[in-house]
Amino acid sequence: MAVCTGCSLLCDDIEVSIDGRSITRTKNLCRKGFGRYRSLTSDRSVPRVDGRQTSIQEAISRAAEMLRNARRPMLFGWSCSTLEAQRKGIELARRARAIIDDTSSICQGEIVDMIIRRDIPSCTLDDVRNYGDTLIFWGCDPSSSHPRHMSRFSYYPRGEKLQRGHEEDRTAFLIDIRASPTAKILAGNFVQIPPGGDSDLIDAMLAVLDGKIPKVKDKKALISMMNTLKKADMGVIFPGLGLAYSLKGRMDRLKALVDRLNETTRYNVISMVGHYNMRGFNQLLFDETGFINRVSFADGVNHGPMYSVVEASKSCDLAMIVGSDPISSLPAGIAKALARVPMITLDPHRTLTTELSRVVIPTALSGIEAGGSALRMDGVRIEFDAIVKSEYPSDEEVLSRILEEI
Amino acid sequence: MRVTIVTFRDIFQSEAQEIDRFSEEYRKMSAVVFLDKSDAVKAGVKEGANVLVESDNGRVVVVARISENAHPGLAFMPNSPWSNRLVPAKTDDTRIPSYKSISAEISATEDKVPTVEDLLREMVS
Amino acid sequence: MVSAMEIYQLTPKLNCKKCGLPTCMAFAVALLAREKQIEDCTPLLEPKYEAKLKKLREVMAPVAGATETGLIIHDERCYGCGNCVVACPVNVANDPKGSAIGLGPKSDKVILIVEDGVVKCLNPKECRRFGPNRILCNLCTATCPSKAIEFV
Repeated sequence: MAVCTGCSLLCDDIEVSIDGRSITRTKNLCRKGFGRYRSLTSDRSVPRVDGRQTSIQEAISRAAEMLRNARRPMLFGWSCSTLEAQRKGIELARRARAIIDDTSSICQGEIVDMIIRRDIPSCTLDDVRNYGDTLIFWGCDPSSSHPRHMSRFSYYPRGEKLQRGHEEDRTAFLIDIRASPTAKILAGNFVQIPPGGDSDLIDAMLAVLDGKIPKVKDKKALISMMNTLKKADMGVIFPGLGLAYSLKGRMDRLKALVDRLNETTRYNVISMVGHYNMRGFNQLLFDETGFINRVSFADGVNHGPMYSVVEASKSCDLAMIVGSDPISSLPAGIAKALARVPMITLDPHRTLTTELSRVVIPTALSGIEAGGSALRMDGVRIEFDAIVKSEYPSDEEVLSRILEEI
Repeated sequence: MRVTIVTFRDIFQSEAQEIDRFSEEYRKMSAVVFLDKSDAVKAGVKEGANVLVESDNGRVVVVARISENAHPGLAFMPNSPWSNRLVPAKTDDTRIPSYKSISAEISATEDKVPTVEDLLREMVS
Repeated sequence: MVSAMEIYQLTPKLNCKKCGLPTCMAFAVALLAREKQIEDCTPLLEPKYEAKLKKLREVMAPVAGATETGLIIHDERCYGCGNCVVACPVNVANDPKGSAIGLGPKSDKVILIVEDGVVKCLNPKECRRFGPNRILCNLCTATCPSKAIEFV
């Protein structure tokens, strides 16, 4: 059995047939995960220094030299690296007195932060499968982002207490702006809201729980939904990017709802983390510093918005990017600022960021060419081995060698 | 025609992104905007035609698709370097960019859809 | 998907009974149910029906890939999410330690599995829709986010 690192579900029931170095057939991978496996042979990055192709060793030495000379380096990425590589990365950040941040800084960091601090209760996906009878997918489209979420854990499978599966034992609601593919399969329980309408919906939900008339168009539907939510033995809320962006800076709204629901029954929250080990990085950095992201080691441990990738892209004098493509994923105006900074990029593939980097160090694809461990979206640790031999070093190896040379 | 752009994830686009960000397939899946039928009529934009999307932050030409279901006033774009041209670089105190709620003007255009290389060139210009 | 009426319009409409059925409409229904083949209608093979034959082969092409239960999988639409694999009552009954609890199938008696990111149909005869006592179960289509599975 292999583990898929295509998303934060870390599916560990993947069967792979291998002939030499190539993968001939796979079982149980979704389309997205299969895409990751197919990327093994597509458009791999090559070692480069200043636009010139070179050896991996030379690229590593140059990276170490640049880090040594930098005054305000930023280390960014991390959500597609193993826990072992992330641990080295945090060590490197300390040594280089760098800013370290990960992709949670521009997506679901605020929610993951509350979960890791235990400000809101959470549980494992196995708990959801066994006991989660009432689900709310909120601002997410699991069919597209985590294709096996509903089939492996949340909605369709039989669980210990839920032997009859989705038809009789589970109820799932979807709250979203867009009539997504998931909305098609949860059509009867789809609550469509306008952009930014999440906070108003929370107010209305709280009003119903307080026995008041909610200020919404379809009062009956909302009251009926709240009655179902109240009857849950174990409810689970799965917030996605939609909710994360809509409630940014106001995450206490989500907490207010979760607290209120927990007055009468049990409700947990699992954030729909995208990349396979973002949760792992957040947990590691939290364990070491008390913060999940946006940390500066320039003078002890400091934390704050000025150490976010959005700010540091404008203020750093060197950026080391690990397993991420910020030139592609940041707003163009910020990516433009980052493009002016000398960049060192570790990535298995050619990306927009590698194209603009001074130093490119190709790495092994974790889960396929490199082993290690990672934390699933619910914090459960999953270990995996390499399934094919690779000519590329893992992130962990590259970071260790940079640490030695620095 | 003014709309609110909301970005989203599409599995076929994610698949293309995993495999090759420089492929024509990835561009085809990414450089699109899904318009409401009546909005498209108002903007004079037809299915499959090129459309200029312009926000306070930037502009980008993508291919128009007409949605089956109605969503007047909203337009959906897969999250990609194309949609990121429109996302404001200025953020609030949270320093989290507003990827999912961007006010933009849409209009028919004869201009071409940029390639990834075009986007990169602009990035360093 | 093609309807029996559409198929009927492409038959010679002679009701000649050469196919063994009483009417061309009955033949159209049988063709759709895969109980008959296009070639069973011998008049249709005559040159004067060439255009109709060509069109009929065209409209029947997608149906040709269907299993004995009429199940068609549109690979290009499939997400490989496995909702159908886990929801299928036959998979659940035959594979309690695999698909029933959300994992990849561990039994070879399952109907639906996901291979290379796309669902595939095995053992169609196990499907509730197979045979004369069929039940019109639709769990695999109802749980699909992208209409990748269809019955004809």
